[in-house]
Amino acid sequence: MDVLTVSRIQFGSTAAFHILWPLMSIGLSLFMVVMEAMWLKTKDIKYFHQLKFWTKIFILTFAIGTASGIPLEFEFGTNWAKFSSAAGDFFGNILGFESTVAFALEAAFLGIFVFGWEKVSARVHFFANLMIFVGATLSAFWIMAANSWMQVPIGVTVENGKLIVTDYLVAIFNPDTMVSFLHMWVACIESTLFMMMGICALVLLSRKASHEVKDFFIQTFKYCLIIAIVVTPLQIGLGDLSGTTIAKYQPAKLAATELHWETNAPGTGADWALVAWPNATNDGNSFEIKIPKVLSVLTTHSLTGRVPGLNEFHPDDRPSLINDIIVFYSFRIMVAIGFILFLLMILGCWYWKKGLLTIERTAHDRLFWWLFVLGTPLGFIATEAGWMVREIGRQPWVVYHLLRTKNGLSSGLDANTVIATTGIFAIIYLAFSILFVYFVWKIVAKGPDFNARPPVV
Amino acid sequence: MMNFLSDPILALLWFGAVGLSVALYILLDGADLGLGILSLFPRKESERALMMHTMGPIWDANETWLVIAGGMLFGAFPTAYGIILSALYIPVMTMLFGLILRAASFEFHAFSVKKRFWSFLFGFGSLLAGVGQGLAVGGLLSGITIVNGEFAGSAFDFFTPLTVLLTIGVLMSYVFVGYAYLIKKTGAETSPGTYLRILITGAVTGVALLGATLLLPTRSYLFFTRWTEYPSNYLLYCITALMGALSLWLILLVFKRHTGPALHNLCLGIFICAMLGMLVGVFPYLIPPSMTIFEAASSRQTLLFMLVGLGPLFPIVLAYNFYLHKVFSRDEGEHKSRAQIYGE
Ligand code: HDD
Ligand code: HEM
Ligand code: HEM
Repeated sequence: MDVLTVSRIQFGSTAAFHILWPLMSIGLSLFMVVMEAMWLKTKDIKYFHQLKFWTKIFILTFAIGTASGIPLEFEFGTNWAKFSSAAGDFFGNILGFESTVAFALEAAFLGIFVFGWEKVSARVHFFANLMIFVGATLSAFWIMAANSWMQVPIGVTVENGKLIVTDYLVAIFNPDTMVSFLHMWVACIESTLFMMMGICALVLLSRKASHEVKDFFIQTFKYCLIIAIVVTPLQIGLGDLSGTTIAKYQPAKLAATELHWETNAPGTGADWALVAWPNATNDGNSFEIKIPKVLSVLTTHSLTGRVPGLNEFHPDDRPSLINDIIVFYSFRIMVAIGFILFLLMILGCWYWKKGLLTIERTAHDRLFWWLFVLGTPLGFIATEAGWMVREIGRQPWVVYHLLRTKNGLSSGLDANTVIATTGIFAIIYLAFSILFVYFVWKIVAKGPDFNARPPVV
Repeated sequence: MMNFLSDPILALLWFGAVGLSVALYILLDGADLGLGILSLFPRKESERALMMHTMGPIWDANETWLVIAGGMLFGAFPTAYGIILSALYIPVMTMLFGLILRAASFEFHAFSVKKRFWSFLFGFGSLLAGVGQGLAVGGLLSGITIVNGEFAGSAFDFFTPLTVLLTIGVLMSYVFVGYAYLIKKTGAETSPGTYLRILITGAVTGVALLGATLLLPTRSYLFFTRWTEYPSNYLLYCITALMGALSLWLILLVFKRHTGPALHNLCLGIFICAMLGMLVGVFPYLIPPSMTIFEAASSRQTLLFMLVGLGPLFPIVLAYNFYLHKVFSRDEGEHKSRAQIYGE
């Protein structure tokens, strides 16, 4: 394989691994903030136990998140030196912000949060908890600002092959930033909630767990469900917003996510392909099932809105055949999961309203709980799929319409070295994933420590 | 805006900020890495656990300085960032693998019953990270081939005799400062023979770095002139003299089997001298001897924007890191891991 391809695989796979952990760190830290706030307010020990228990898992996700994030930062230099040099004026700067403001905040307050129970007052402790969440959210914001600018690179001019910033605020708050930051941030919360609910469901299905333990997890389940009422519909709305944003600023990407080849004639609507497969010459579909006019409605919110087709763009300026396929199916997976999670939430609420969310009922409604167990990985799958749409749909550009991916690659890279290091990353990361599941299993099997008493400072 | 800051001054300011972050990283995390490497040796798990737990609350925050230094280098000197990292692909990846293993096994160690395995992996990760850092410094000082603002060498260029010596020096100095930190934290010799080992690691560090200093001029004429031309030669003489004095003092304390914080503080002093020496040796080059700080800097706009945005934050970050170290300097005896605190 050529250096370009292996470099892309290396970056893509290490990023895809990294994103799993901040996802949970952000989601869990939100939950932890809510629990500590409730505990401080009500002094009810049950919130303290919730906080303590979920913090254990947070510690693991945070450690793996940090461990896998650092390589990414350095990979911009090792693998994408020319991209770093050309785009660094803006891009490097934003990463500088992220590391100084956000990471430093998180890492320092994590020390106080975890080790400081007996050393700082309850208020300082809560503040540390809050700062971890704020820090994590800020790092998500900065990294999304950097990535959004790669999608919609405005506020810069080209000078001697370099992208020099002319207006910072325009570049940071480009039309994609807030939309994708919110979609990402809500994805963190939604994915974590359904992971937590899945764990709760597993315990509730277990025949060994004690009544006290089940009671603990049914509480967690209810707190998560409450947050999911807000989050699941919101995410579908934000996804729609993402779609209209790319329709406007990255029409070739949108056409690829829909395998839409010919621009609709004025006065007619563009059809929406439910399933499709592109032909070998990559200029039409060899197979498709279409629903009339729906694509115009989805992207422009009008029956006859114009949606440019892929053939409108030169083949060198749009994703390749294989990229088209990945983008098209990834998009469908994400959207399907968006609706599945929404339906799961409705189902949960319906059961709750009917008074079925009790420990006694778990013996009867096993199917209900199994559905939530199956929901555990869905948020993560949707997130990965969304990133494939975003990053592969952007190809062949690394900075949209300004810098091609192949021109961003480092010179002097050796394909075999990159393959070897990718292999090592893969082995380590695979081991981490398995170990994570194992340790979470152990933590859950051991259950919360009901004897834990809040420290007196 | 801010006309009094000329372009060269801006570039120097950012060079200073990057340099300070790198220095803080080495001063703070050097001891953590050294302790990690040391934890490979004791047979008793309790001894190893003690080593790991002395750095429990802070090593994460310490490592952040590396991320900060990287981020700032990327922002202020993007071209150099790309060239240095792509030329040093193998050393950098080695370091990254080390850091990943270290970070994760630290937590796994706490949750697992197979403590031996995880403390081994933790030590191995620390060793790998140290090796990577040594190789990277060596590769940088051995010279990077640049043509038309791009790296034009090959993947193994970094590997020279100079690099080998510097790697040994870096590793040994980390172990050295790790010992000093352990003594400061526990207020005692943790096992018989500690002081002897301190002396040996110190001696090896000294010999390796001395050898490296002698080899440097063979890599580039630049380093030769630094020792022969005014004023850099005088600066270097002074720094060398200071380093020598601090080292003698340290040796004296070791012979007296000192148990206080002075050992560690002296180590830090020597580290600072060594870094100042490096600075005098390479200034104003960012990639010696081919790219200067001024050639590598971002646009004026960017440097100013970063200064306005990050300048005020830098002291805050420093302040809360200081607070963190203060909160945890008080703890004596109760060295626990994160997971233990959460009842694992
Ligand atoms: C829990 C996760 C999750 C769920 C349920 C959804 N998404 Fe999503 N989506 C993401 C998680 C995500 C993501 C991983 O967070 C992405 C990748 C980059 C980003 O900003 O968000 C993303 C990207 C993304 C993009 C690409 C943006 C770009 O390329 O710039 C579009 C068009 C959508 N989403 C649309 C949707 C729609 C219409 C959904 C409704 C059903 C939906 N998403 C549900
Ligand atoms: C964490 C979630 C992310 C995932 C899963 C992800 C995934 C990917 C994938 C699959 C590729 C390869 C695309 C291809 O070559 O076909 C890629 C490339 C790339 N991504 Fe991301 N990405 C993520 C976040 C980011 C962010 C936040 C940034 C920038 C701040 C970024 C910058 C890049 C760059 C520079 C490349 C290389 C050039 C290219 O191939 O276009 N990525 N990413
Ligand atoms: C591909 C581009 C990315 C790069 C270069 C990157 C870089 C990093 C680095 C260096 C760290 C470790 C910081 C530390 O020492 O604490 C980190 C952690 C983190 N990253 Fe990323 N990251 C990327 C993608 C993302 C995305 C898309 C998100 C959005 C949610 C994100 C959110 C976080 C968070 C919240 C942390 C803190 C650690 C944790 O919570 O697990 N990162 N990242």
